[in-house]
Amino acid sequence: MDEKYDVIVLGTGLKECILSGMLSVDGKKVLHMDRNKYYGGESASLTPLQDVFDKFQKKKTQEYGRERDWNVDLIPKFLMANGQLVKLLIHTGVTRYLEFKSVEGSYVYKDKKIYKVPADEKEALSTCVYCILPGISICARDKYGALMGIFEKRRFRNFLQFAQDFDESDPKTWKDLDPNKSTAKELYEKFGLDANTQDFTGHALGLYLNDEYMKGPCKFLLQRCKLYSDSLARYGKSPYLYPLYGLGELPQGFARLSAIYGGTYMLDKPGAQIVYDEQGKVIGVKDETGAMATCDAVVCDPSYAVEKCKKVGQVVRAICIMNHPVPNTKDAQSVQIIIPQNQVNRKDGYYLAIVSTTVETSNPEAELQPGLGLLGDVLEKFVSVSDLYEPVDDGKESKVFITRSYDATTHFETTCDDVVRTYKRITDRDFDFSRVKHNTDDSGQTQE
Amino acid sequence: MAGRGGAQRPNGATQGKICQFKLVLLGESAVGKSSLVLRFVKGQFHEYQESTIGAAFLTQTVCLDDTTVKFEIWDTAGQERYHSLAPMYYRGAQAAIVVYDITNQDTFGRAKTWVKELQRQASPNIVIALAGNKADLSNKRMVEYEEAQAYAEENSLLFMETSAKTAMNVNDIFLAIAKKLPKNEGGQSGQQRPPGLRLNNEQNQQSEGGCCK
Repeated sequence: MDEKYDVIVLGTGLKECILSGMLSVDGKKVLHMDRNKYYGGESASLTPLQDVFDKFQKKKTQEYGRERDWNVDLIPKFLMANGQLVKLLIHTGVTRYLEFKSVEGSYVYKDKKIYKVPADEKEALSTCVYCILPGISICARDKYGALMGIFEKRRFRNFLQFAQDFDESDPKTWKDLDPNKSTAKELYEKFGLDANTQDFTGHALGLYLNDEYMKGPCKFLLQRCKLYSDSLARYGKSPYLYPLYGLGELPQGFARLSAIYGGTYMLDKPGAQIVYDEQGKVIGVKDETGAMATCDAVVCDPSYAVEKCKKVGQVVRAICIMNHPVPNTKDAQSVQIIIPQNQVNRKDGYYLAIVSTTVETSNPEAELQPGLGLLGDVLEKFVSVSDLYEPVDDGKESKVFITRSYDATTHFETTCDDVVRTYKRITDRDFDFSRVKHNTDDSGQTQE
Repeated sequence: MAGRGGAQRPNGATQGKICQFKLVLLGESAVGKSSLVLRFVKGQFHEYQESTIGAAFLTQTVCLDDTTVKFEIWDTAGQERYHSLAPMYYRGAQAAIVVYDITNQDTFGRAKTWVKELQRQASPNIVIALAGNKADLSNKRMVEYEEAQAYAEENSLLFMETSAKTAMNVNDIFLAIAKKLPKNEGGQSGQQRPPGLRLNNEQNQQSEGGCCK
């Protein structure tokens, strides 16, 4: 403990683990600590199941199969198959520690019903999106009824084609729109998309949390639509990937990268505390025994330096255990319903659903009701409201660099953006994925 | 990521099947875990081995009759030092070598703790081998062969004393593990879990069932 390090990282959430890994790869001497006994901090997957009951201080009144078969994510997110996190996993070689599965279904909620988001390009362009619940037949060809009429489908297809061909650096692909000046709303109008289709595009493809993006430059919406379709093309049926044993595998994978490059790991340090000099610059980290490790800089999540953070919002999340799949999703084993968001995955005869949203009222649990209502009977429900924090300064004075809390988005794009920004604040250098690439080759030989 | 195919055979004739297994190393710091792997994979030994090796994992194959067994060997990367080994490390491991130093009684005690940990955390049919390393230093021996052997028998572990320095029993212990591993279904040793997707650099244009290797 009483050693000198270049950087001490506090908290083993995904962001801190990626940063720890990249800093170790850069040759920095890193000490990585966590107050909990497990990896992952806020982004952990808890196992065995008893740990979930303990965390939410609930008493378990029935058994749910094998305790260690459960990996319950505290924060629900998926990976976009062509997103930044996948690129980072591949470039760092961390992907070799992990196995993934494609998320089977993605649905969007509209008028109290759920609609399937096209699973592949063929579905998007020909049969298009259909309603799972019978009743609102618009397109006679489809016995379930369709979300879009036949003319709207054609307009939507033209829009998707444009988004696919769009290249920010090639004005020929812009058609007379200025990607930096024309707004997303103008883009929709140009293609004559109706309000329903706009809603669908913004939330189910663009994955926006609200409609603010409509006023911004259209290039961001186009980039998101492109990310969605590139992700679809990447691993087959779905644009979303999920680690086979829960999201908690991700921080563990990057922690291993850090350890391989010399990072030191200490879990179960409940008293870990940052120590400053008179000028307010960091000098080290103390543990509960009073032993101190010195360092030039600290990287941490907001919970280790609350006094240097401000609250910017709240997220409410409900984790539900069920003994059936989500109704009206064709019994999909894993599914995402965007309401704005919600996800589910299967566990041995049991199903786990996580419903989350950004808090907008004084009764957060009621805000989840549209999502909870879709789930059918729920055996067990754990509700939590988490504060969202962000640092008040860039950390350059105190040398304490703080990441932001995990927001309510359903994927890791904003997580990666924060990692890239934090890395730049720490090192004054741009984050370069390719740095580790050449050092992680295994040696493979054959012995007869 | 080139060069990670199976065993190369001249004239392309694939003899028998190739089974791949994840093998993890466990044991107290400085008992010679990395040295054992380095001896097995590269045939090398360094007197002053750095405490970590900078590789994700190493691979090595051994041939048994008509089967090629490919080990994917995971080193602890030093995460055992403050008891901070991630659960991911054990996940899916089909074999483990628990290493102790025959000149240090404490490391034998720790080895027993690791065996318990494996029985608790790892898959139930994992093959565990116990290696009493640094056998070349038998003049400083603190752990008797018979004591370790009796413990191994009680817990159904494979057991050998090894020396990464002289190469004694190093290949043999891996070979013994290879023989004991179940070799059905192309090496994924008959478990019920669904096949996972491995991400790689190539675009998998609408390939069915992803890109599992």
